[in-house]
Amino acid sequence: MASEPEPGHPVAGDLRPTFHQELVGLEEQALGALDIASEQLDNVLTALASHDLPLARLVIADDDRVDGRYLETHQAILSLLARQTPVAGDLRLVAALLHLIMHVERIGDQCVNIAKLIVLSGPDAPLEGELLAKLAQMGAVASALVTQCQKAFRERDLPLATDMLEKAADVTKLNRDIFRAALAVGEHPDSREWATYMVLVARALERIADNAIDIGEQVAFVVTGLFQEFSESFRPAIRTGMQA
Amino acid sequence: MESNQPETGAPSAAPMAPLAIATRQPTETVSTEVVFDLRGVDIYYGATLAVADLSMQVNKNVITAMIGPSGCGKSTVVRTLNRMNDSITGFRVSGEVLYHGHNMYDAAVDPVEVRRRIGMVFQRPNPFPKSIYDNIAWAPRILGLKDGLGERVEKALRGAALWEEVKDRLKGSALGLSGGQQQRLCIARAIAIEPDVLLLDEPCSALDPIATASVEELMQDLKNSYTLVIVTHNMQQAARVAERTAFFSLDVSAGKRSGILVEYDDTEKLFTRPSDQRTEDYVTGRFG
Repeated sequence: MASEPEPGHPVAGDLRPTFHQELVGLEEQALGALDIASEQLDNVLTALASHDLPLARLVIADDDRVDGRYLETHQAILSLLARQTPVAGDLRLVAALLHLIMHVERIGDQCVNIAKLIVLSGPDAPLEGELLAKLAQMGAVASALVTQCQKAFRERDLPLATDMLEKAADVTKLNRDIFRAALAVGEHPDSREWATYMVLVARALERIADNAIDIGEQVAFVVTGLFQEFSESFRPAIRTGMQA
Repeated sequence: MESNQPETGAPSAAPMAPLAIATRQPTETVSTEVVFDLRGVDIYYGATLAVADLSMQVNKNVITAMIGPSGCGKSTVVRTLNRMNDSITGFRVSGEVLYHGHNMYDAAVDPVEVRRRIGMVFQRPNPFPKSIYDNIAWAPRILGLKDGLGERVEKALRGAALWEEVKDRLKGSALGLSGGQQQRLCIARAIAIEPDVLLLDEPCSALDPIATASVEELMQDLKNSYTLVIVTHNMQQAARVAERTAFFSLDVSAGKRSGILVEYDDTEKLFTRPSDQRTEDYVTGRFG
């Protein structure tokens, strides 16, 4: 852990290597939870596309893995705060990890929500191709955002974090498109019921994207020390999309 | 997890009580009245430049902490603020050390008068081998403040949060007090002559955590009446008690070894997002 001394430093070296190694491990633990959540998202998107009810049930059961990692990481963060009293950049990182792990847990919950809607729609749901295609597009964007926020956090890459807004705009548009497609799905009660479930699926995907954006905001906090929502103009837009 | 209800909120290992909504306390207004104004101050011991080019202001009724590694000159600076270094051979100050706008190192200034206005508490409690009462009454007697001496002693002991503990044994030896009590006695002794400023040089380093907590609480009470400057090795103590914190370091470039002020800011900012990488490295323990 010891790094090169900077000019002007009277004494060089990491005086708290155990603490700093623990902090590195804690970050990996939290970012590793995003891997589990990503896997859950991929599985539920597959279940959605192929109407795979057993896979959807597996996603519901596997939420315990996300929850377990959340609880472990949360406890580890509290322990680190109590024992090591981090300050400055270390403190910002720990605070950001607390946010991050909460958002990961919520992403996991939204995957479960989607899985439950798949199960609820039943084995003979009247699937409609255009709606499913748009949901697949939206799911791909949400999945990419989850991957991107993880990379941006790990690499403290602020431009990569702010770049997520571009993809988020696609989520807003797709959310609206899916709502309109659901309205146009036809008069049959079964179709209307399924389409309504799919609007809720779109809402869950939008929430996943929003949680990924929130993690991106934490990147900005860790790097700059200032918390700022990425775009006030973006957020009302996405919420309008939700409510539409 | 098989419920059809939507998943919301964090999982919990045990049932949790409803969360209270946290409210942020309003930020205290920090006084802007300047007590000390140091301008381009160099402090020498003989030919050695101990502290280089120091400029900073200390505000009234504010607790200002000085932190930094050993040898960075923070004790030298605080002792310069009440001319405690004057008797050290080779000690010399250049630049301006202004106290309420007056140059403290002007030839016409009486060091005794300086120390009457600017009291000091040291690392180790140093009560006189006298009674508790006489420890407090000593300086007022010297200064001729003999009227109402008993009231003055009580006021000082109450001010130092010690009265209730010692009021029944004022004639007992001060050396019979615990370490924390002795340090509060020294604070009482300092405030008995109603100074303007209290300088505290590592006041808790010889105290246990309970005594440390009592002195830190006392500092919060005292700041309403006094301006406090504390030198501490304990960064968390600075974070706990001070509104403003100055980080000193050693400039070892080009063969020098002089203390320098690296960063001086609100304590909250210094410990959450310091502006200087050297501060960040020091407070996070990445450099000594």
